[in-house]
Amino acid sequence: MLKTMLLLALLAQPERQTAAVQPVLQPVPHPSLAGLDPEVAAQIEDARSLVDGLLAQNAADVAERDKSKVAEAYGEVCKVYHAYGMTDAAMPCYANALRLQPVNVAWSHYLGLLQQETGKLAEAEASYRRVLASFPDFHPARIHLGEVLLAGNRPEEAEAEFRQVLAKEPDNAAAQAALGEVFLSRRQYAEAVRYLEGALAAAPDADRLHHPLGLAWRGLGDVDKAREHLEKAGRVGVRPADSLVNEMESLRQGPTVHLLRGRMAFRFGRYADAAAEFRKTVAAHPESVPARINLAAALGETGDRADRNAAKEQLREALALAPDNPTAHFNLGTLYMQDGESAGAVVHFREAVRIEPADPVSRRLLAQELAKDGRPEEALAQYETALGIEPQNSLMWMEATGLLLRLGRFREARTTLETAYGNLPRSVEINWALAKLLADSPDASLRDGKKALALAEQLYNLFPSPYHAQLVALALAETGDCPGAVQWQRKALDVIRQVGKPPEEVKRVEAVLKSYQTEGTCRPSFLENGYAERFGEDLPPVWQ
Amino acid sequence: MLPILAAALALFLATPAPAADLFLDAATETGLDFVHVNGMSGEMYFPEMMGQGGALFDYDGDGDLDVYCVQGGKLGPGASEPLPGRLYRNDLSLGPDGRRVLRFVDVTASSGIRTTAYGMGAATGDIDNDGLVDLYLTHYGANQMFRNNGDGTFSDVTAKTGTGDARWSVSASFFDLDRDGWLDLYVVNYVDYSVEKNPKCFAPSSRRDYCGPADFPPLRHTLYRNRRDGTFEDVSVRTGVAARPGPGMGVVAFDADRDGWTDLFVANDGAPNFLWMNRGDGTLRTLQRTFQDDALLAGAAVNRRGQAEAGMGVTAGDFDADGDDDLFVTHLTGETNTLFVNDGTGLFEDRSTETGAALGSVPFTSFGTSWIDFDNDGWLDLFITNGAVRILEPLAQAGDPYPLDQTDQLYRNVGGRLEEVTSSAGKVFQQPGVGRGAAFGDVDNDGDTDVVAYTSNGPVRLLLNQAGNGKAWTGVRLGQVGGPGTRIEVIRPGAPALWRRVHTDGSYASASDPRVLAGLGERREPVTVRIHHPGGRIVEWRGVPVGRYGIKEP
Repeated sequence: MLKTMLLLALLAQPERQTAAVQPVLQPVPHPSLAGLDPEVAAQIEDARSLVDGLLAQNAADVAERDKSKVAEAYGEVCKVYHAYGMTDAAMPCYANALRLQPVNVAWSHYLGLLQQETGKLAEAEASYRRVLASFPDFHPARIHLGEVLLAGNRPEEAEAEFRQVLAKEPDNAAAQAALGEVFLSRRQYAEAVRYLEGALAAAPDADRLHHPLGLAWRGLGDVDKAREHLEKAGRVGVRPADSLVNEMESLRQGPTVHLLRGRMAFRFGRYADAAAEFRKTVAAHPESVPARINLAAALGETGDRADRNAAKEQLREALALAPDNPTAHFNLGTLYMQDGESAGAVVHFREAVRIEPADPVSRRLLAQELAKDGRPEEALAQYETALGIEPQNSLMWMEATGLLLRLGRFREARTTLETAYGNLPRSVEINWALAKLLADSPDASLRDGKKALALAEQLYNLFPSPYHAQLVALALAETGDCPGAVQWQRKALDVIRQVGKPPEEVKRVEAVLKSYQTEGTCRPSFLENGYAERFGEDLPPVWQ
Repeated sequence: MLPILAAALALFLATPAPAADLFLDAATETGLDFVHVNGMSGEMYFPEMMGQGGALFDYDGDGDLDVYCVQGGKLGPGASEPLPGRLYRNDLSLGPDGRRVLRFVDVTASSGIRTTAYGMGAATGDIDNDGLVDLYLTHYGANQMFRNNGDGTFSDVTAKTGTGDARWSVSASFFDLDRDGWLDLYVVNYVDYSVEKNPKCFAPSSRRDYCGPADFPPLRHTLYRNRRDGTFEDVSVRTGVAARPGPGMGVVAFDADRDGWTDLFVANDGAPNFLWMNRGDGTLRTLQRTFQDDALLAGAAVNRRGQAEAGMGVTAGDFDADGDDDLFVTHLTGETNTLFVNDGTGLFEDRSTETGAALGSVPFTSFGTSWIDFDNDGWLDLFITNGAVRILEPLAQAGDPYPLDQTDQLYRNVGGRLEEVTSSAGKVFQQPGVGRGAAFGDVDNDGDTDVVAYTSNGPVRLLLNQAGNGKAWTGVRLGQVGGPGTRIEVIRPGAPALWRRVHTDGSYASASDPRVLAGLGERREPVTVRIHHPGGRIVEWRGVPVGRYGIKEP
């Protein structure tokens, strides 16, 4: 829309350049095309050849009648450079276009954007003012001018520019956000809140604005509101709707551009957008295995069942192209795992492990899926190898122990935990699990109340939590110190009540307390049932 | 005749006055001949362009600062042993004319320092309170701790101390976490990258380029508590610092809220910074959740607009002379450097624009930095070393095999407002290089702050200060090795007090002079120095003469 407006204006305005003032063109350091996507290189070459051709025809000087033509040609190549981030070439290029065609303020606007981006504030200001002299209602230029003035510590002048935009377009999110920033910088917090809330109302997706808004609330002394907004703060900002920028950006093409856009979208959690971009890369390079893996990764995250199936299909295609690609196997295994298809997951994790035997992550997932698939011996073998590679992984030790407990192999579970403890003497999880098993193993011959108590007390000294108090109680019970167990269990109960834990948890702790108080053996009777299942559940919440 | 004269006059007036050299590079003539090798293979391995820093420390206890330079090496297939870092002994002497003569001697071979991985940075501190400064080296690979034996040699005590974090670490800080008088250690880790799985990354142009931190999972950082028996224990989980990962780069330990407990600020690269507020429980038992990251509410996590910037280097200092430490964080090209001003309670405001700190920073990717009073006028100025991380097209076209060169910057603090003086600061600020770490200290003991600037894949530079000389100053040295966390208050007659922080950390991957140097401008009358220890103990030292370092036991 704006492009049309500008061109119409161009037609209506007389050429101001006189034949007597010949523009002096700057040398443009055309970037090397080596290493670029062939599509990008060809696009640049095409645009450049147009300029070169016209300049060759005007070897000594650009003839008056050709100036607009050369400027337009320059403009095209400048925009291409701009679109691909080749700033050092784009800036002199725009400057030449502008010299040849000063009435086309689009060149000035583009130049301003690059000058602003590279911190050339005075030059950017002049460029935007040039645009606004011809098109005072072109809001993007005015907002950028305000930003430049603000960056130059001229908040009053910036404010005037933002207000001018809002006078014409009261809901302009970018102008409101910028004005909010002006007030925040002046510590006029109520005003900052007003404008930032306005900006968020106009652009609810711009979650980054929650940050300055949170700081404004902090300035007003409302810490709760400040925290509420700061926690909501994300990465999406607001920028002025700018048809000239959109037009320039639309020039980007080639598989790498889609790859970069896709990665960016993926990073920001916009998986459908990421998939769309990666799909273009796959279309351009159907033989590219990384492209298919990326596409599958994005499709796998959209939450759509059809997309998950499509993701699997992409990975199968990738594996048809590269049967030994470990990432494709890993991702396909993960998708099967997430869909509860352990048999399929096992196949692909096993392949991933075959290709990269030292990868503990694939091995651990393979072990998990083998266990689910009813193949515990194989699972234990995988855990053993994986733990040999990564002996510091406390969660993996816990998983292996859990599997042994489910199999009723308590002695091996104890040995495993003792080995883990040897590797990770400061691991809270391992300390906890070993203390618990020593205190209440269903196989009474494995219990060792004294050791359990020492570990439990050590843990409590580090983390005096009700969970650890219960562990001390359990260990004391095993040593036969029933009054001690009662005392510690009550201590835990008091805290749990105090902090308002759910009633079922309170009840459970009460039941254990009762068993310590009433039973002669000082041992909770229900411990015998479902031991292995509850072993993990009993872990303090923070470790689950 | 007249027209000719007028023309000559015009010519004279048009010629810019030669810039005064505020710093002069004296590396070559003093024997500091270190050249960093990043192992550039063409494969664009990420660590190649992230190193390196070094240390300025008095390892031999002779009263002058020696230099350690961290080295890189070759990465990837065919990589052999990493190249050794170099230790240079400073043999500062007085010449026959009374002038100071600096001479550096490479003593690496006899030092016992044998590095085992690709180097990133260095941190210094006395880990065993024997009065000798020890050295911790961060690596892409397992870090190393070297204990100073006091006879010019070091012993590798990594295994014994248990501090060999195997992840990719960049900076580290020695500080006293629990005020027990023993230095603990915070190690800043970066991202989970491996040379073996080196992905291809691209510039917007589609050309291959170095990857950035967003391409890899960030790592959790490590906090080691000194057990006072020559060993450290990893208390990262217990203290809460392992609660969240972050692509960390620079770190400073300072008392953000002036409650007497040392807090930590970590500059994260492209992710919100950490401000770990020390709750100060003091004992191991109550160390649980000792640290809480309050950076968001504190206003130091991201810039005013809410953008997480690419934090590289960081420095903490009282730039506005209001008695608390403010944070300056360096960033990537296209972003501004950011100044977070402390209100004294640990709440910060991004005042980068208002103070002038942002101006002039957008074109540069900045790394090493420090608040230094280079002209000894009593106001903390800023030195910033720069070097790109993305390929600079014009340099690549000109055939530069490592096209990341940029020039350094200098800002003068004029009553709390920062003015860039780079263009008039002399030749060293016009010499391009790939700046990374920088260590700061009075290398020639002449009462002003010099800079050792580390260049990636290039020679180290020794920038000797020419501007501070002649102004009055006072210096404080707490024992042989400093006393991190201590704050020094210099009370001047008829002028506001100056507050300075005893530290060796900050900047980027580098360790600086633990001595405190306070510029006094033209005022040469004796001053009162108050030493504020972290536990609240205050020692006052009256009638301190200017122009010398006073040594106090910590």
